[in-house]
Amino acid sequence: MREHISGQYDAELDELRAMVTEMGGLVERQLQAVCLGLSTWDADPAEPVAALDKAVNRLEVSIDDACTHIIARRQPTASDLRLVMSIVKAITDLERIGDETTRIAKMLETLCALPALRDPLPELTEMMERVQSMLADALNAFVRVDEERALEVITRDRAVDRAYEALVSRLLEAMEASPERLRSYHNIIWCARSFERIGDHAKNVCEYIIYLARGKDVRHQGLGSAN
Amino acid sequence: MTDTPTLTFDPADTCLKVEQLSVSYDGKAALREVSLTVPRHRVTAFIGPSGCGKSTLLRSFNRMNDLIRGVEVTGQIHLFGEDILAPKVDVTVLRRRIGMVFQQPNPFPMSVFDNVAYGLRLQGLSDQRALEREVEWALRSAALWDEVKDRLEASALTLSGGQQQRLVIARAIAIRPEVLLLDEPASALDPISTLKIEELIGQLAEAYSIIVVTHNMQQAARVSDYTAFLYLGELVEFSATDDLFTRPQARQTEDYITGRYG
Amino acid sequence: MKTPSGWRSGDGALWLSTGAVTLTLLLTVTLLVLLGRVGFGHFWPEPLGTFTFHPGTAQAPLVAAQREQGAFTLAEGGMETRTLLRTGNRDTAAPDFRWIADASLRSAHFDPAAIELERRSWGPALGLLAPPKAPAADRAALAARQWARLEEALALPSQVRTGSLTLYSADGSARPLPLAEVVRAWRPNAMTFAEKLSLYFSRIGAFISEPPREANTEGGIFPALFGTVLMVMLMTVVVTPIGVVAALYLHEYAPQGPLTQMLRIAVNNLAGVPSIVYGVFGLGFFVYLVGGSLDRAFFADTLPAPTFGTPGLLWASLTLALLTLPVMIVATEEGLSRIPRQLREASLALGATRFETLRYVILPQALPAVLTGVILAVARGAGEVAPLMLVGVVKLAPELPLDGTFPFLHLDRQFMHLGFHIYDLAFQSPNVEAARPLVYASALLLVLMIVLLNLGAVLLRAYLRGRHRDPLG
Repeated sequence: MREHISGQYDAELDELRAMVTEMGGLVERQLQAVCLGLSTWDADPAEPVAALDKAVNRLEVSIDDACTHIIARRQPTASDLRLVMSIVKAITDLERIGDETTRIAKMLETLCALPALRDPLPELTEMMERVQSMLADALNAFVRVDEERALEVITRDRAVDRAYEALVSRLLEAMEASPERLRSYHNIIWCARSFERIGDHAKNVCEYIIYLARGKDVRHQGLGSAN
Repeated sequence: MTDTPTLTFDPADTCLKVEQLSVSYDGKAALREVSLTVPRHRVTAFIGPSGCGKSTLLRSFNRMNDLIRGVEVTGQIHLFGEDILAPKVDVTVLRRRIGMVFQQPNPFPMSVFDNVAYGLRLQGLSDQRALEREVEWALRSAALWDEVKDRLEASALTLSGGQQQRLVIARAIAIRPEVLLLDEPASALDPISTLKIEELIGQLAEAYSIIVVTHNMQQAARVSDYTAFLYLGELVEFSATDDLFTRPQARQTEDYITGRYG
Repeated sequence: MKTPSGWRSGDGALWLSTGAVTLTLLLTVTLLVLLGRVGFGHFWPEPLGTFTFHPGTAQAPLVAAQREQGAFTLAEGGMETRTLLRTGNRDTAAPDFRWIADASLRSAHFDPAAIELERRSWGPALGLLAPPKAPAADRAALAARQWARLEEALALPSQVRTGSLTLYSADGSARPLPLAEVVRAWRPNAMTFAEKLSLYFSRIGAFISEPPREANTEGGIFPALFGTVLMVMLMTVVVTPIGVVAALYLHEYAPQGPLTQMLRIAVNNLAGVPSIVYGVFGLGFFVYLVGGSLDRAFFADTLPAPTFGTPGLLWASLTLALLTLPVMIVATEEGLSRIPRQLREASLALGATRFETLRYVILPQALPAVLTGVILAVARGAGEVAPLMLVGVVKLAPELPLDGTFPFLHLDRQFMHLGFHIYDLAFQSPNVEAARPLVYASALLLVLMIVLLNLGAVLLRAYLRGRHRDPLG
């Protein structure tokens, strides 16, 4: 993309992108922290999540302000307009991801006070891995306005959903088998639900990337029209 | 350019049809093989950087270019199917069908009334009551009547810039043209007057086919239904205004409207 | 930030330009005052003194008016003052102006019986209504009697007056003065200020409204005034349409190329051609060629006596029209070029033809500029003398070019012109001292006439401009 005649405008847009990248980085760290905590059955790694969430929220407000400022002052059109609009929407999703991680971190504290599980939960591990890679790839695609990567990330959400369903049925069986661990299982279901949501938010971000790249809104249309 | 993103309209909804229009001044090309169709009863905007040929294209429609020495025009322009570049066309009749408003408000140094009545009198209308009726109609259509009804005999030059421009629009529509060409109609006006003119353009579109040349992209975005982007004498893109300003198809359009031209 | 000082502050330029304007104004005022004082001072009734001289000088006593003081150098060195006396009586005691050394002057007294008479010929007569040596009571009675008779006679037309007045000189000699000869008479030493004022204006009135006498040194200048105004008007009538049409062609129709540019330069240069050249051209072309051809074609029966083939009003007007044509064209074109292009386009875009645009939009707008051209042309034309001497102006025209006999306006007649009149008075007059005040008075009238003609055009222009003035400028 060529530079604007107004260097100031370019600088403002660059700053906006940098802020989004920073916000994405913070959210990624939150997600990594809770994943680590869950895999090691340890609440300590997830401890900074709450503090990170505050930073994420502050960034969301700043980015919102910056976007409003650009719309009012620069009246962006075409790709600039789409960039600003996608950012406004993407940061909402990022902020939600941050909220979800905070929720998981709280669950983790409760979980770690309970006795550890006996059997491994491969579906949960799969979900965590998938969601982490989805978020990382979505953020990368956003920075590069990589339409193909974004499309590919969107397709990966189905696998997360399937893993979530499999995990839930496995946990329901386990609850029947060992009701004394009912609270643990219940909490894990809640965590899994959050991961599933995070996957959805990552998918949303990718949809904005496609809108940003193509000028076409592919939300709620399925991938057929996106292709 | 054969791959120019463009629109076509049903013949019944087509006001002007331009085919392969090239205009040059003393051998210097100002327009190169421009083809487009202008819809009827809609506002069409021509945008582009200075010297892109948008004004030349506009002035081709009422053949104001004829006044310039050394001008050469090839191609065709049809007004509702009628070839207006044909040598036998009476330009004075053509200009009554295609009115024009210029960048600088240019009322004649006459009274408000005489300004609006000028075109009518040229057509031989001399009955005072008929003139009064037509002048009032034109001033009302131009949303100026309430401001000037008590000073119709005052010099038009006593009006404010915005009022003068609306007076000029009234003067143009008094002879009931089919098409109204507006060449940067608000660029010499303050923002409030500009908004009034833009509002007026919207109202007039119900009865006239309007073409606006502007280098104010926001203005084109605000007032027009369709927008054509011209660059270096060529039509780069002609789309619905909503599409052009959110997802232009041509790279040059994108660069221009986002301020990357240069 | 430091305020620029000295010349760079602009104060210097301000002072310089203000000074230039002041100087110009001062010169103009001086010109008008000088012309007015010398020219119109002439009409004020001067006191008449009875001057006696020292026995050593051979000069007899004189009745005279004092004109001016001067100084002269004596043969043996040193300076002495002298006085110019206007003595009149050119017929009996020439010369009518004498320089008298103040040293030889013994006494002067202002006799209420002193009288000045304006005559049909020989210039003014100065004298006393009663013998200077007679007893006072007899003198007063005689003077009153003679004055009464004079007043009675002046009330009658000169043809039916009979008898004469006895005029006494300062040394007591008497001579008869036929009453029929008298035009006007006054006793300046016996007049009140109001009477003097009324006489003053009546003489100025006569100056403006009467024909000249005595080789233009007496009487008025009406024919010259009339001739000038008439010629300028004819010139304007000719030059305005031609100039406007030419300017319209140059500016509106001619293809703007090197040829038109050359034409324009040529027109501008015409304005710089010396006016006498126009006179020669007018004589050769208008008078001999055009006038001669007209005579051969239409007035062959009166040949060889020329009708139009001789200098006359028509040729003078046409020559001046030619002379002022460049001014007219340049001024009009200037006005046309100041009309914004947008106005033309607005009119054309409304379906007006080129001619309609010219007629309804361009010309009304250009009218003030046309009038500016007229003002300049009038100022130039009315002041010209040199070319006119060749094409129709004469020292003395027996008839006005406009009268009651068919065809009323006699374009073929020769006529008088103020500018030439001034030249004639100043250089050709046999009586320099008598003519001098009239030179100034005529010059002032010429200036006033041009001012009046211009004022009319300026007011008209102001009116035309004011009709549609843009309040924002």
